Amino acid sequence: MMSETERSERDAALQSLEPTGEGLEFSSRTPLWVQIVKWGSIGLSIVVLGWMAQQIIEAGHWLMVSMVGFIALCVIAVYATRRAIPAKYLFPGVLLMLLLQIWPLVYTVQISFTNFGDGHISSKEEAIASITSNSVREVEGSSRYALNIAVPEGSDVATGDVAYLLTDAEDNYYVGTLDGLEELPADGVEAGPTGRIISAPGWTTLTPQQVNERSADLADFGVPVFDDAGEQTAGIKQVGLSEAFVGTPTKVYDEEADTITDTVTGTVYVAEDANFVPENGEGAALPQGWREFVGFDNYTSAFTNPTLREGLTKVFVWNVFFAAFTVGATFILGMAIAILMNDERLKGKAIYRSILILPYALPIYVTALVWASMFNQDFGLINGLFGLDIPWLTNAWWARAALLLTNLWLGFPYWFIVCTGALQAIPNDVKEAAQIDGAGPLTTIRKVIMPLLLVAVGPLMIASFAFNFNNFSLIWLFNQGGPFVGGQSSIGSTDLLISLAYRLALGGATPSFGFASAISVIIFFLVATISYFGFRQTAALEDVN
Amino acid sequence: MKRTTGAVAITSAAALLLSACGGDSSEENTDSGAAAEESADDPAAEEDDAAEDEEAAGDDAASTEAPVRDENAELVIWSDDVRAPILTEWAEQFGEEYGITTQVQVATDVRQQFKDAANVDQGPDIVVGAHDWLGEFVQNGIVSPVQMSSDTQGMFTEDSLAATMYDGQIYGVPYATESLGVIRNTALAPDAPATMEELVSTGQELVDAGDADQPMVTVVSSVGDAYHAYPYLSAYGGGIFGTNDDGGWDAQNVIVDSEETIQGAEKMAWLAEENALNVNIDFPTMESLFAEGRTPYMIAGPWTIPNVEGADIEYAIDPIPDFEDGGDPVPFLGVQMFYVASGAQNPTLAQEFVNTYVTTEDMQLALFEAGQRPPALQSALDTVSAEDEDIEAWSAAGEGASPMPNIPAMNAVWQPLGQATADIVSGSDPAERLEAAQEEIVSNIGR
Repeated sequence: MMSETERSERDAALQSLEPTGEGLEFSSRTPLWVQIVKWGSIGLSIVVLGWMAQQIIEAGHWLMVSMVGFIALCVIAVYATRRAIPAKYLFPGVLLMLLLQIWPLVYTVQISFTNFGDGHISSKEEAIASITSNSVREVEGSSRYALNIAVPEGSDVATGDVAYLLTDAEDNYYVGTLDGLEELPADGVEAGPTGRIISAPGWTTLTPQQVNERSADLADFGVPVFDDAGEQTAGIKQVGLSEAFVGTPTKVYDEEADTITDTVTGTVYVAEDANFVPENGEGAALPQGWREFVGFDNYTSAFTNPTLREGLTKVFVWNVFFAAFTVGATFILGMAIAILMNDERLKGKAIYRSILILPYALPIYVTALVWASMFNQDFGLINGLFGLDIPWLTNAWWARAALLLTNLWLGFPYWFIVCTGALQAIPNDVKEAAQIDGAGPLTTIRKVIMPLLLVAVGPLMIASFAFNFNNFSLIWLFNQGGPFVGGQSSIGSTDLLISLAYRLALGGATPSFGFASAISVIIFFLVATISYFGFRQTAALEDVN
Repeated sequence: MKRTTGAVAITSAAALLLSACGGDSSEENTDSGAAAEESADDPAAEEDDAAEDEEAAGDDAASTEAPVRDENAELVIWSDDVRAPILTEWAEQFGEEYGITTQVQVATDVRQQFKDAANVDQGPDIVVGAHDWLGEFVQNGIVSPVQMSSDTQGMFTEDSLAATMYDGQIYGVPYATESLGVIRNTALAPDAPATMEELVSTGQELVDAGDADQPMVTVVSSVGDAYHAYPYLSAYGGGIFGTNDDGGWDAQNVIVDSEETIQGAEKMAWLAEENALNVNIDFPTMESLFAEGRTPYMIAGPWTIPNVEGADIEYAIDPIPDFEDGGDPVPFLGVQMFYVASGAQNPTLAQEFVNTYVTTEDMQLALFEAGQRPPALQSALDTVSAEDEDIEAWSAAGEGASPMPNIPAMNAVWQPLGQATADIVSGSDPAERLEAAQEEIVSNIGR
């Protein structure tokens, strides 16, 4: 039975839980500073997004502008209203996931269907423009002009029609416009020591800065040179600020036939496979190609590439083993040390822990290289110290062993940190209970601590597996996938899929982002499949709990 | 392992600690920056860039971010950090003369960063770099020709000008050349060897006497290094590409398995037998062995000199000697030059700068001070050679050197050929191995 006092206490407690007018008022009116921070943040993000949109508009990417606009609308809709409370929490995460995970994936898939890569960077128009403008050569036997750039007197320097004021080798003066060359009477012309016109009546010369501002106009400007029949044979074009030359393009594009003709050799180039290739099939294609949609070509070649097909199984097996062994070995070592370090009787834990974490704090950029040099057969520390003569880096099996050792050293501190944290989360009474039940230390670890630990670290192991499956930087810095055995340089004994793909796609004659993307997508599916089954396994682990 | 890089302070302290330890105990040059740069590069870039990388490594490898084009400057130049201070002075002078603002920005990986930036129109107006990047730049349409007058062309050494040509067009203004030579420790080997055989036997005697560990050192490494192997491969007239009608390199004519190249490779095999070539010697190992006085000869380029000077060794530079049977090792010639970006926001000023400033003796001399490589301008070269023995020696070493092919197909060569030379040094049959490399190179190019 409840005593009288107890009852009144309980009633008082219940009383205090009941909503009062005061409390309601408090919950409905947010304090002023929160309001300020909230609206300030909304305003700030809108301003930042607006600024981004401005930048993107200047770059002319309209799809991205509308995306930024959409994000801005979402920010307002989610945070400026009182509705959609869950969305307030979910929005940043979803947004970041879309930006950092989904978008790169979509972009990669998109690129994998194109021939994007070295020599196929730009659009066809840009490639043609580059081919023709780069082919301009000085007309043989022509002499150079001293140059100044001017606009007609009275017109605005920023908008007036530009013209070249030219002086030839015999000190004759000319005005060059888009209509051609015209002689300039020498009266009143002031020229410098090199003959360059400094000022001329009827013309306003531009300062270098003004010239600079009109770069775009000048890029398209040239003075046509006509032969006696009135045909244009060449053009006068500036070289910098003070000199001009007579040049003529040696490669001419024919829009109707979609061909480029080399006027020197007479070769006709036709568009084929995103390059201009000689019509008669003899000789090399023009260097500048363009980007185009190639369908499944990259995927087909990924599966039919002889090098890749031959090495794929070997590399895949090693790749899975490498990732699995690394995770297993580093976990066991890290956990063992963590359990040792977790012992209360140990003195100076902080110092040991700091030292043990050291490998983790060093950038792989440094450590991989240092380890590689320590494994040097003749001059390395390891052989030197133990008086060995092991070909660590030139024999396939030793190289694999060296790599696994290095990665063990690099990786165990991670598991050491994780396990230290997880061990401290395991309540002591569980261990005591085990002890009381008569379990020895080993049984306690195996039957009590391990299951509890594995539930905590299982997902991390999958993540670690996925990371090591694609541990490109270690392989590349350590030995670039070598050694290469069997008289070839494409498939190394320690190559992972990702380093093999990198070498094939980006290390060859024509680095191809399209091909690289296709291989990335294939690797993505491999890792996704492995991870899927891995996570199902961890789900099974959780049943222990 | 999932590794988020730790706190910067710990990292850098630990890195220092690590490199200090490494240096003492492993007798390795663990100049991690240099090693990092060396191995991180793609093989094509690795060779000639070694120059820049080595110099750059010591200073600050802290930021590897690409520079962001300075929007306020009217003329933007990208270069490595060694040349940037000199260029800044000249760019400022140019700016004053023409009333514009200029900006010199340091790029840690000029080649790639320029390619990336130019593709999104954020690139500089002028880029300073090696000539063998040219093919790739043209292919991607990111550089413009430089219309140099024939008078100006005549002012440059023939080879350096040839290196700026692609498809018959000049694409840059050269300022320095570089090639491999023999750097000799004069305390160990007082006289320049007359032949390769003599070099090896002198070295061998020193090894036998216990004064040295290696008869000579040069970069081989387990994946090979085609740049450092080229002098031997080319000694009997072999090489990588044949030439086409207009004197350019012909990507369709790979001559790696030609008799002449194989003859050169056999010499490599012989050098390997004598332990003069060793796959366990990579760039840092080579430098440290020489710097510690444990070998009389190092076959390397001018970029190793700062390290040698740091080690306080008396040295001399000689051309790579001939073989007794008449084989004449021809190293690659690398040419450093100024490119004008086709996407330059200010093409007129960029062209003016490279045509009127870079072609002056004063500027070429100033750039020489920064890089210690023979200038490309004949008059500057004459001035420098008269004053500096090293440069005279380097330019003698580079005489007859063959400009490194600047066609994009060269990217398909570095790896297979490098690996082939490493395998030959480890004992593979030269002819068989080069035939395999030939096949690999041809199929890479055709891809």
